[in-house]
Amino acid sequence: MTEVAVIGTGAIGRDLVGKIHRSPVLDCALVAGRNPESEGLKHAARLGYPTSAEGIDAVLAAGPFPIVFDATNALSHKEHWQLLKDVDTLLIDLTPSRVGDMVVPTVTGTRAPAARDVSLISCGGQAAIPVAHALAGRFPVSYLEVVSTVASRIAGRATRLNLDEYVATTQTALTEFSGVRDTKAILNISPAVPPATFRTAIHAVVPGASATEVRAVVAEAAERVRAFAPGYRVLACEVNGDRVVVSLEVAADSDVLPRYAGNLDIINSAAILVAEQHAARPVVVGG
Amino acid sequence: MKPVTIYDPTLRDGQHAVKHQLSAAALRGYAEAADAAGIPVVEVGHGNGLGASSLQVGRAAVSDDVMLSTVREALRHSRMGVFMLPGWGTSDDLRKALAHGADVVRVGVHCTETSLAERHLDFLASEGAEAHCVLMMSHMASPAELAGHAVTAVGYGARGVGIMDSAGHFLPSDVSERIGAIAEAVDVPVIFHGHNNLGMAVANSVAAAEAGAAIIDGCARGFGAGAGNTQLEVLVPVLERTGYRTGIDLYALLDAAEFAERELMPAPPVTGSLSIVSGLAGVFSGFKHPVLEASARAGVDPRDVFFELGRRQAIAGQEDLIVDVVAHLREVAR
Repeated sequence: MTEVAVIGTGAIGRDLVGKIHRSPVLDCALVAGRNPESEGLKHAARLGYPTSAEGIDAVLAAGPFPIVFDATNALSHKEHWQLLKDVDTLLIDLTPSRVGDMVVPTVTGTRAPAARDVSLISCGGQAAIPVAHALAGRFPVSYLEVVSTVASRIAGRATRLNLDEYVATTQTALTEFSGVRDTKAILNISPAVPPATFRTAIHAVVPGASATEVRAVVAEAAERVRAFAPGYRVLACEVNGDRVVVSLEVAADSDVLPRYAGNLDIINSAAILVAEQHAARPVVVGG
Repeated sequence: MKPVTIYDPTLRDGQHAVKHQLSAAALRGYAEAADAAGIPVVEVGHGNGLGASSLQVGRAAVSDDVMLSTVREALRHSRMGVFMLPGWGTSDDLRKALAHGADVVRVGVHCTETSLAERHLDFLASEGAEAHCVLMMSHMASPAELAGHAVTAVGYGARGVGIMDSAGHFLPSDVSERIGAIAEAVDVPVIFHGHNNLGMAVANSVAAAEAGAAIIDGCARGFGAGAGNTQLEVLVPVLERTGYRTGIDLYALLDAAEFAERELMPAPPVTGSLSIVSGLAGVFSGFKHPVLEASARAGVDPRDVFFELGRRQAIAGQEDLIVDVVAHLREVAR
């Protein structure tokens, strides 16, 4: 088992601890937050894991851990990377800080990441990039836009304060993985009751797209994501002239999250996959 | 007579009616006419504000930079306003707008999501800008909830706060209750922005002023999505007769409205079937064009689409839901 630590005890941190608990190769050695009374620390303690309210200081004192998940916020992640970059740790960033190398499992492959700080981009990025990458690989896409909707109840303070970073990081990742220069990311927060399941719409300008081919490419990309995020599904795929609209939904498959919180489920599922690949990598002696 | 400040979003909210295609010449012409009439604030931008040109809502004919520099040059006395939705625009867009000389910056949030504006209101306050916070789709929250959110917005640094009747759902008594609750809770100017889906926009605006609103929005010829907004050149004389001082010159205002009808729109807004339905369903009027287009392609009744969007509690910005709702109704019909 590979020992991992989690910093951040919001909904993302709590679900990560739940997913680590289910993992056959990862062992949760520390959960660190800021508030000793937080639900996240209590949840980790109930599962029998060591907890601390000392945040990154606790991780530095108890480490080094082979893997640390950062589920805090974009600004804090920059500090955490400065403090951990000289330690032999893989830092997996769940915030939209854009510091580390960006990872999308079905696009960047199943090899363990070479970088020591990897970024999971954003929930919208994890949902849209597999489809955007597949479309751009098959058709001459000239513009890409991704509009995601997160239920208000699951959008915590860090998400709300980091909207600018969400937009910038998602746009950068869309361009990096699709090769399309002109991209746009938008985030809506829905207050609907009962809460709306996380959704992402991909708008693309695709001259000469055939509806049949587009549907096949989208379906194949979605199937690959479902291998690690089973709640991922295509709701609609419309082609109208050179305009393509794909709408996707992600339902959470989690012991901790409500079904509608697919935004957290998909980014956390990807993070766990990265960690498990890293844990399984061959150890290079003297390397 | 009590003073009231008229705020004119013709060149921003009107964009929804023409798919965000206003030209620089049209922007300049109307801004000059509004300036000549003494309208205190003239707002400009894409219909969803700074940085919002998109396939989701419509790509603008003119960039934010060109819109802002054109209107800035045209305004000699009036102040320039801009609008921004967090998650659509970013602090970079706000920085650019301030560099272009925007005097008033409105940050819009869905009426129960004020915390989305914390960062941007804080940034604007630190820049010394006059920031307002507007609570959109305000029929979806109670007077007490709205008052609570207004207090939160003022705490973040908003120097004006208020509500938009984005779906044109309110009747005058709804407005009185909500504006009254907000005015009692905050000590900054309270804003009301009406839509005319049920023919109530002017009456609602008068009710807002009487309940304590100090900033009232109106658009020339009601230029706006669907049934349009509060008709500015009606609003101003009605407020004057009711006992409010606007400082606006009537003839020059009527001339600006003539210009708007001639140069900004193919035809003035009318309260058509879909606008009535969107008002009743409590759905943002700006959904009209995409609902019509998607419904026609799929052969479903656009009125059903509006009621289903209302049932799903769609908020402004969620145009992507239309494709799903149309596909769902088509399936149900089969």
